[in-house]
Amino acid sequence: MTQILGGHLVGKYLKEIEKVDTVFCISGGHIESILDSFTEYEIRTVDVRHEQAAAMMAHAWSVYAGTPGVCLVTAGPGFTNAVTGIANAYLDNAPLVVLSGKHPLRDDLKGALQEMNQIDVIKSITKWAATCYETKRIPEYLSMAFRHAVSGRPGPVFLELPPDILNVRVPLAQVPMSARPTRKFTVHPDDWDLRQAADIINNARRPLFIGGSGVGLSRCSAALGQFIDRTGIPFILTNCGRGELPDSHPLSLWDVGNVGIQLGMMQADVVIAAGLRFNWLLQSGAIIPPATKVVRIDIDPHEIDRNRTADAGLVGDASSVLGQLVPLLKRGEHSAWTRDLRTASRAFLTSELELREKPSNPIHPIRLVAQIQKFVGEDAIYVIDGGDTCYFGLTGFSSREKAGVMATAAGLLGCLGTGIPFAMAAKLARPDKKVLLLNGDGSFGFNSMEFDTMVRRNIPVVCVVNNDQAWGMIKHSQELSIGAERLQCCELGVRPYEKMVEGLGGYGELVTRDEEIVPALKRAFDSGKPACINVITDPTVTSPATPLFYQSLKMD
Amino acid sequence: MRLSLLLFILSLKLRDAALRNRAFKNYIGTVRLNILIRTRDGKSGRLFVFDKGSVSSVKGANHACDAALVWSDSGTAFTVMLKGTDEASFQAAAAGKLTVEGMSYYIQWFNDAVKLVM
Repeated sequence: MTQILGGHLVGKYLKEIEKVDTVFCISGGHIESILDSFTEYEIRTVDVRHEQAAAMMAHAWSVYAGTPGVCLVTAGPGFTNAVTGIANAYLDNAPLVVLSGKHPLRDDLKGALQEMNQIDVIKSITKWAATCYETKRIPEYLSMAFRHAVSGRPGPVFLELPPDILNVRVPLAQVPMSARPTRKFTVHPDDWDLRQAADIINNARRPLFIGGSGVGLSRCSAALGQFIDRTGIPFILTNCGRGELPDSHPLSLWDVGNVGIQLGMMQADVVIAAGLRFNWLLQSGAIIPPATKVVRIDIDPHEIDRNRTADAGLVGDASSVLGQLVPLLKRGEHSAWTRDLRTASRAFLTSELELREKPSNPIHPIRLVAQIQKFVGEDAIYVIDGGDTCYFGLTGFSSREKAGVMATAAGLLGCLGTGIPFAMAAKLARPDKKVLLLNGDGSFGFNSMEFDTMVRRNIPVVCVVNNDQAWGMIKHSQELSIGAERLQCCELGVRPYEKMVEGLGGYGELVTRDEEIVPALKRAFDSGKPACINVITDPTVTSPATPLFYQSLKMD
Repeated sequence: MRLSLLLFILSLKLRDAALRNRAFKNYIGTVRLNILIRTRDGKSGRLFVFDKGSVSSVKGANHACDAALVWSDSGTAFTVMLKGTDEASFQAAAAGKLTVEGMSYYIQWFNDAVKLVM
């Protein structure tokens, strides 16, 4: 009778049932037999230098590849190192499957190596967390994990597997194995709600559609395209929903960026929000005037009236709901409203638009982003990490790709350090695309050792550091709040990050002058190596995101 | 003339609010910011100076500032500012009669401050 090692059941299930081909991890003694199963079942491993990056890369994999991302961490510190990445995935609703080692059950409460109660730590930041206690049930637990990760509102799940079940053999014939991969099921909104929503949209004079990550997670390009074509409604797609329709779509408002969102939300008579939480970035819904009608589409019924009572609420997957809504909608025409919105927004952006075109010394971040965009173009994936840097990148970059412009640190966790792992995962998931990472110099520090991973695993991401020599958003907030003469813990100075990357085997270049930006980008991409262009930018520049951040924490 | 008077009255109200209006005082906090309101031709304007809780003001359209609200003409500026609504400002911007120079967020901040004293 064929015997199989418990750890090998993990690889077998991942490869044969869920078709997982890539796992993000760091090695560890507790998980050795799982690692060996990846050799057995030919699963690619991407071994990083800190488990935080493994969790973030797996999260990013779910965004760029469209399938749940899997990371494997060892017990104790391997697990705790991953916690920030898991928390970020939880707040981003990413279907992340975390497999973790655990101290031996045999040695529980004996002071075993790396013994700790991992489940209690992780419960509040996962959709589902469990320990498997029996070798034969490993595939069953894995199946549960994947189901929980993708069903309803997606999110991270956690499964710990102790050596007691991984390092023993069982007869393969006695192991129940699922017959099929996890499926995503959708729910149908009430027909009355659909008609009510259609009625509101059909009678709108100044409608605005805003889509968030739920739009991206539902992969709803086709349904959204039909909705926009039929209604003629101007739209803006944010977070990982950005790119479901290209930024260059005639009705996309990304050419006027955040100002377009703000003005649109304030002036629209109907706001249709899909897969989007009304969180602090939208003033918890308060940005929308009381008289404005709101149609909300969300897979989570709890979101429908959260922070703002919806005039119509449609519960379901965005793609499915839009598909059901389109036949009820009249052909619409809102070109005058769209034109007004664009013109008014541009009036508020005069200076920013001028800065894009004008060489600057010291280099202005808006100019830096504009030069990058001109050189790299729309056939690329942009990842942005930082504080002020997120604002500059989000408003200045444009892409035709799905999730083509993502400010990974601008999520609800505000998690700096996500840029490098996300850019790496983007390049692995879509190797034919250029991947450009714009990183603040502060956030660069969190995961910059992953340039070693990029070199070892040949992941040629080009990273441009927007180096304002500070934790810029914090520095400028402190200038507003406690005064420039009392700055605390927010200045970093000039550091040769490009040399660090060179030292690890990548390509590095320092840029201090406007005219050096484009030639440096060309050399970086031509090198075919992971690259870092360290661009010294104007340290006095503040983005509009900083005062917003500052105001959000005022308690008076 | 009407615009100059309106801006002068606004400066008095802001200065007074910085002394007496608790919500306004809390809102402006310790911010240091110079906001200019002016006409495109540079003939009318006033600078509003927020400096760590105090507000002062200077007549004129040619001051250095962090952000400026630039009106096509004084008549439009007077009419829209007197209405004091976001919609009126939006319509003026959409019609090309209003632009912002500098960071637009600062203008939004200023507008919200003005709403607290109206």
